[in-house]
Amino acid sequence: MAEVKLDCMYEACPIPLLKAHKELKKMKKGDVLIMETDHTCSITNVLEWANKQGYEVDYIEVAEGEWEIYIEKE
Amino acid sequence: MSSKKIEELKKRRQIEIRKKKDQKTYALLVLALWMILLLTFIYTDYQYTSVWIIGLLIGITLQRTRFCFTAGFRDPVLVGSTSILKAIILGLIISTIGFAFIQYFAIGGKEIVIANVPGNIYPVGIHTAVGAVIFGIGMVIAGGCVSGTVMRIGEGFILQIVVMVGIIIGTILGASSFKFWDLNVIKDTKEIYLPSFVGLPLATILQIIALVGLYILADWYHKKNNIML
Repeated sequence: MAEVKLDCMYEACPIPLLKAHKELKKMKKGDVLIMETDHTCSITNVLEWANKQGYEVDYIEVAEGEWEIYIEKE
Repeated sequence: MSSKKIEELKKRRQIEIRKKKDQKTYALLVLALWMILLLTFIYTDYQYTSVWIIGLLIGITLQRTRFCFTAGFRDPVLVGSTSILKAIILGLIISTIGFAFIQYFAIGGKEIVIANVPGNIYPVGIHTAVGAVIFGIGMVIAGGCVSGTVMRIGEGFILQIVVMVGIIIGTILGASSFKFWDLNVIKDTKEIYLPSFVGLPLATILQIIALVGLYILADWYHKKNNIML
């Protein structure tokens, strides 16, 4: 399994979601995308979208106002 | 939803994370400042107190729910998700009912004079549509409307301060050139207030039916659209 890091820091939504969508297309099944973001709205945004796509998804706060979102490609 | 792989990644990351700073002191300081201003309003300009309290409550609601008017109108197009749009429609249904009562008591069974009816009833015309399109483009690029921008500055997303400067410049330009637009465009258009044609009760019911229809439409669209652009 590969892990792909995606830097979405300082980007307002919907840019993080668009970037994730683009990156996920290139990835193989079972790979995990790690998104780094500091925009709370993109968490809800990405989580809702990923859930709808049927991807496994979760996130943690890694520092004050910085989050990592994990998406596993199905 | 969280798979084994993601759980493992999270666990690994959790160990590396340093302890977060305690921000309770800041929260108490801001709350104290809020209380001081509240007391100032009580003793000086009483009518600001209700606005001040409601403003805080709306701010908390916006921040906690991630309620975003921009996303409400952008996400249906971009990702086929209408969950926020549905929330906006629900809000409109509630405010329709609330304003129906307010306007009912303001009219008081007399002839309707639009200028005396509470609520923002303004002339509608081509300028409304043009303004809406310009504002819509602006808010999607900026990543937030006015309330969303203020809320995100509050939670520390610094990019939005730039947006706020833009909002202030735009508002000042708009206010200073309003006379020009009023004389050349707005003057010839009229306010359209549905209750003055069909009466307030029927107008309220019609508006609620229209909004419920939109809600159902949005719900159907949400379930049907999975794929992004």
